[in-house]
Amino acid sequence: MKKVLVVEDETSIRNLYKEELIDEGYEVITAGNGNEGYELFKKEHPDLITIDLKMPEMNGIELLDKIRKEDKNIPIIIYSAYSEFTQNFSTWAANEYLVKSSDLTEFKSKVRELLFCK
Amino acid sequence: MAGEQDKIVEEQIIKKYEDLLRRYNILNRISRIVASTTELDKILSITLKGVTFGDGFGFNRAFLFLLNQKMDRLTGRLAIGTETAEEAWKIWGEIQKENYSLEEFISQEKLNDQGNLSLNDRLKKITIQITPGKIIDQCLTGGEPVNVDLTKNSLDENSDYFIDASKIENEILELIQYPKFCLIPLISRTRKVGLLVVDNKYNNREITQDDMTFLMMLGSFAASSIRNTIIYNELKESLNNLAKVNYQIKILKEYNENIIESIPLSMFVVDNNFILTACNKNFSDIMHTSKENLIGKNIRNFKIFVNDFNLIDEIANVMSEKKIEGFYKVKIVMNDVTSDSIFNLMLVLLKDSKDSIDGVIGILEDVTDLVKLEKSLQEAKRFSELGKFSATIAHEIRNPLVSIGGYANRIKRRYIEKKEFDINDINIITDEIKRLEEILKDILDYSSDKKADFKTINLCEVLRYCIDLVKISAEQNNINITLLSGENFLDKYNLIINGSYDNLKQAFINLLNNAIEASTSKQTVYMDTEIIEDSGQKWIKIKINNKAFIQNEKDLYKIFLPFYTTKIHGTGLGLTLTKKIIEEHSGNIDVESNRENGTTFTIKLPLLRIDENV
Repeated sequence: MKKVLVVEDETSIRNLYKEELIDEGYEVITAGNGNEGYELFKKEHPDLITIDLKMPEMNGIELLDKIRKEDKNIPIIIYSAYSEFTQNFSTWAANEYLVKSSDLTEFKSKVRELLFCK
Repeated sequence: MAGEQDKIVEEQIIKKYEDLLRRYNILNRISRIVASTTELDKILSITLKGVTFGDGFGFNRAFLFLLNQKMDRLTGRLAIGTETAEEAWKIWGEIQKENYSLEEFISQEKLNDQGNLSLNDRLKKITIQITPGKIIDQCLTGGEPVNVDLTKNSLDENSDYFIDASKIENEILELIQYPKFCLIPLISRTRKVGLLVVDNKYNNREITQDDMTFLMMLGSFAASSIRNTIIYNELKESLNNLAKVNYQIKILKEYNENIIESIPLSMFVVDNNFILTACNKNFSDIMHTSKENLIGKNIRNFKIFVNDFNLIDEIANVMSEKKIEGFYKVKIVMNDVTSDSIFNLMLVLLKDSKDSIDGVIGILEDVTDLVKLEKSLQEAKRFSELGKFSATIAHEIRNPLVSIGGYANRIKRRYIEKKEFDINDINIITDEIKRLEEILKDILDYSSDKKADFKTINLCEVLRYCIDLVKISAEQNNINITLLSGENFLDKYNLIINGSYDNLKQAFINLLNNAIEASTSKQTVYMDTEIIEDSGQKWIKIKINNKAFIQNEKDLYKIFLPFYTTKIHGTGLGLTLTKKIIEEHSGNIDVESNRENGTTFTIKLPLLRIDENV
């Protein structure tokens, strides 16, 4: 079973993503901030990571940088409420960039793509 | 015999008349020479030389004193004559040999050049205080010459002589050092001018009644000349000074006028009767007329309003209250026409050198450009804030919207797929909607331009309400709230301020809730109140402290900026709103944070008054 790590500070969204991904048939682990996310990445070796950009303490970009320094290949999806972040170079290290939406169809299809179509 | 006797008498009479004629002649000539000059020193010198001219009055020595302006003191001014008999004979011998005429004699410097200088010097050092009852006072008051002969004694029949040395000022006795002399008052009409003293120290000639008659004539003539000269010179000097002063005033006036005309301000001056006494061109331009049409006119004629205030009333106010009046960013309405420009107007009292009020100066500064600039700056600021605002709102709203939509889709999907739904999913939706509403309330509060309804309220009541309200949630989290100024402070005083009860409540609840949220279990939130006085204004200083420490000290000020937050949940508008409320109450708020004392917010609010509850 593929393991997905969800790093998101908003509890309701974190739970929504977790439940939706569980329904998709993945094992889901979650972190509420960047530090926790990095620890779980090291400990749990997930197959894919989804990261919220705006988080207290270590934000999404810092976490992305840190993970990419150790693992160039792990698929990472960055998402945020800010659409202007698509123009930010620092997010290019991610495989996908998504703007948060209540419609999770795109999100779920990107997760599937990245996990099975590499 | 009789014929011989008659002849002798005749000769005597003829001689006497010749003598009189000669003296009149001399007097006439002296007066003509005196009249030709307005120099005091020259007049004095001519008079004295005439007195001592051998062919004229022929006195050995003459001393002239002048009265001061207060007429209580005589000062030695000029002496003619020598210190010793030898010198006198020598000089007189020479003069006789040359056979000078009066005019030549007067122009002779010999008398000044030689020996007598020391006599003159001695005289010039003498100042005599006029003492009632003494000889000088007697002579000047009586207006008659006084003939002194100290060799006579009281037993002598001839009472024409003054013989009482005790009544003669020592200064005179020391100067003359000879028992016979004559004092002649110098009086011009009724005005005393000075004193002439003559003697015949070297030839011992008696001073006769005739001598005195002529001396009186000469004296009164000299007095008039001296007086005229003094008046003339004073007049000349004051005219000179006046001219100088006039010139200075003119320069000063031109200088001031140049400044007044060239400054980028409009100025006008009105006197106590509201007559416009001065203004510059800028002012007449505002009034759409010329300076000539304004100056000298009563400004009531112009119907000038500053916004809704009548300028006349405000000027009267300034005059009666003796204070400066300022109006900022006003429009001037003149004869019902409103100016396009915006002005700052200042009314200042015009005082004369004695500090009494002469009128009011009005200074108008055209701030139209400044106001425009301010406005566009404010707009720019508002737009940039709006940009940030929108971005933050987008973020803050999107998060709950994503959850709401996400869970709604999830419920829908699960219902379609499995004909079931989870009540927790629905709870999340309702919770998120509640959160959205809170965010919107904050945003609306912040962006509302609605002016709060200000009333006279008791701040203690506000603080008591807020503390009681937050105490419940604080106790649930095991956090204590302590009022350092004593639990009864809020009951003991009524701190009366002009403000909005609801807005202040919101500000203090925000601050207290922040402090409680930042605290951990068993910690205490401290509140301290203190009444302070600053330049006559009483303030209440309120400190709210918690033990948590905010890092990034240099960024501490950002805490009040919109959308800045250290909390996970929150719009970042709470403290911005608090600051806005405090500032609307003419107060201020500050924050300090350090490891030792944690974080302290200090709020200062101006008080209307303090009532003490007995």
